Amino acid sequence: MLRRLLGFLSSLKLTIACLAASIILVFVGTLAQVNFGIHEVQQRYFQSLLIWWPANSQGLKIPVFPGGHLIGAVLLANLITAHIRRFKWGWNKLGIQLTHAGLIIMLAGGLFTDLFSVESFMRLANGETKNYSEDSLHVELAVIDESNQELDQVTAIPEAKLRNGGVIEHSSLPFRVVVRHFYQNSRLQMLDGKSKLEPAATQGVGSRIAVVGIPRETAENARDVVSVVIEIIPPAAPPLGTWLVSDQLGAPQTFFCAGKKWRLVMRQARYYKPYSLTLQKFTHEQYAGTEIAKNFASKVTLADTERSENRDVLIYMNHPLRYRGETYYQSGFEKGDQATVLQVVHNPSFVAPYIACIIVGAGLLIQFGWHFSGFSHRRKIAPTTT
Amino acid sequence: MKFSHALFYPCMAAVLVCVSGCNDKDEIKVYRVSKENPAPENPAMPGMEPMGGPMAGGAQPSLAAEPAPGIADTAPSGWVSQPPSSMRQASYLVKGDNGATADVSLVTLGGSAGGILDNVNRWLGQIGQPAISEEKLAQMVQKVSSPLGDVSVVDLEGLPTGGDAMKDGRILAGIASDGSRTFFFKMRGNAALVEAQKEAFIQWIGSVRPSEAVANPMPSAPVVSAPVQAPALEKEKPQIKWEVPKGWKSAPPSSMRYASFTVAGPGGGTADVSVSVFAGNGGGDLGNVNRWRGQAGLQPVAEGDLKSLIVPLKTKDGDVLTVDLLGPTTHIVAGWAEIDGRSWFFKITGSDAVIAGEKEKFVKFLQSVQFHP
Repeated sequence: MLRRLLGFLSSLKLTIACLAASIILVFVGTLAQVNFGIHEVQQRYFQSLLIWWPANSQGLKIPVFPGGHLIGAVLLANLITAHIRRFKWGWNKLGIQLTHAGLIIMLAGGLFTDLFSVESFMRLANGETKNYSEDSLHVELAVIDESNQELDQVTAIPEAKLRNGGVIEHSSLPFRVVVRHFYQNSRLQMLDGKSKLEPAATQGVGSRIAVVGIPRETAENARDVVSVVIEIIPPAAPPLGTWLVSDQLGAPQTFFCAGKKWRLVMRQARYYKPYSLTLQKFTHEQYAGTEIAKNFASKVTLADTERSENRDVLIYMNHPLRYRGETYYQSGFEKGDQATVLQVVHNPSFVAPYIACIIVGAGLLIQFGWHFSGFSHRRKIAPTTT
Repeated sequence: MKFSHALFYPCMAAVLVCVSGCNDKDEIKVYRVSKENPAPENPAMPGMEPMGGPMAGGAQPSLAAEPAPGIADTAPSGWVSQPPSSMRQASYLVKGDNGATADVSLVTLGGSAGGILDNVNRWLGQIGQPAISEEKLAQMVQKVSSPLGDVSVVDLEGLPTGGDAMKDGRILAGIASDGSRTFFFKMRGNAALVEAQKEAFIQWIGSVRPSEAVANPMPSAPVVSAPVQAPALEKEKPQIKWEVPKGWKSAPPSSMRYASFTVAGPGGGTADVSVSVFAGNGGGDLGNVNRWRGQAGLQPVAEGDLKSLIVPLKTKDGDVLTVDLLGPTTHIVAGWAEIDGRSWFFKITGSDAVIAGEKEKFVKFLQSVQFHP
């Protein structure tokens, strides 16, 4: 049984099937971007084990095709198993072995990157200091305990938890947060006397606003407006009411519970750092007499008390700042050059593609060099014909 | 090679895939941070936030500091972009002399968002003024054309009880709707500063537009910034400066006009000053001069006679060609220049009684123009 399983896992047919499935997946996924947008397609098609087809409106879903993670994982397993089963040491096989090892590292690195890398952005106005970056796609509900004079205790509930709905309980919260409605994308509408729409919530600004669910954004430069109606229920007490939280409602809302003042704010998910960056100056140079960009540069001060770091760093195109496993790229700016936008990439396996390319390159060089050498040798000793 | 060893690696790969479902990004996080300056609470409707609130900023995700998805604008010079607050898609701070400030915001909401009268009355309430009727509103509203449609602009004056005159006292506000959304443009601040900034505010309204061309490094929102590769935003609205002569009052620009002024002359007569800009040569000298001649009630001229009519005028930033066309009832003085692939047209139109007295000011106005400030 085990032998058959390994035979299947290491078969060339499985490799071909996986490669064919990859081609189909990329083709279909590319077409699907027209309707779903790039981010939705990435999640549904490439960052999933299976692609699900909604069979009916009641939520029944049927898997119709393997997703990117499954194809990648099977291909990786196939490559590793085949590599191990057919491994035979010999100098003449070194090139092939290296090439395959490089491919394994590349595939594994891709999977690691997909699973563990985090991309976010840090916007800094001139003179501004920040110790966090913000997710460009996902929001979080920050429930903030303001009772301490100096520090706020933040309980950040991620978008995924809100999307799942139900009751959210946490030891840091002396109440339950119940998700009543979750809108992946929404339009907020002020209520007037003539409106037939119902207010979204009973408390806060939501009592004067209606929420209309709309289809998800598909444009690459657009994102959904996530809105959630939550109910706050203290233990052994009647519910405090419902609140509308939305990242379009930037202003926080407050309530009192368990003798403390709490603040609710929906915002882009934040990633706090143990260090801070201060933008000293953003430079935007153009070629003389034109509006063609010549150079963009952000001079920032990196301050890290844990490591006693305090130094100025110039971040410009192709010269990112790499610090504590994160890479800061010059990504954009705001009009008037008043603020810079840095892309922050945390990718523990960022070296994998470089190593893989070097190993594959070396493997191919050795393999072809070996063949060339043999061919050349045979030519030398072959009898000449007239 | 034992098979059990070989099986270890595929199993590891499978485990790796399975952990994708339990990413720590989906877990609740608890942490302590230094207190931030919170934004004002519950700005129920656009423009309801207290003065100074938007400037407090900090608590908001600053990535959303710019217009909403699909919306772009061009801020007049001197306006400082601010982190957003409440439902703002764009936010600016304008500083004047002696600590005077004005706060500018763009807010987008779905639907009718309360209608014009309700919103105007709400704004009046904010500056301590009584509500007005539909009839009174009709007399107050000015229409401004913008790429988002016609904008109804109102100019409201008043200081609420206990208000800070350096930061409050006047509201300039505009409302536009494209059917599914309502756009609120608002400037609130020191009365004198708001008056001085009225022209800039009207120009800003005219600059707010759907931004299909502006890509965004952050897929979101708030088209925050032009991407490094395509600094196109600044190109879209050409920058130009001039000195407005005394007595000229700025009027709302239209979709065809970059700027407009109204000039009052003797005996109640008025003259209209327009500044327009077009791509390319704007139709050519002969075509334009003959068009203006037609407006002045004069016969067209031939190409050969054109040179004798045109007088070059030196400005701070190059030469402007001018013509003076006096017709039976209408007097037109026009100047034009082709700069950076665009044609700029400056024109004053009115009765001769008014234009005769204003021509000198118009010439000085032309001389003050800086195309590359």
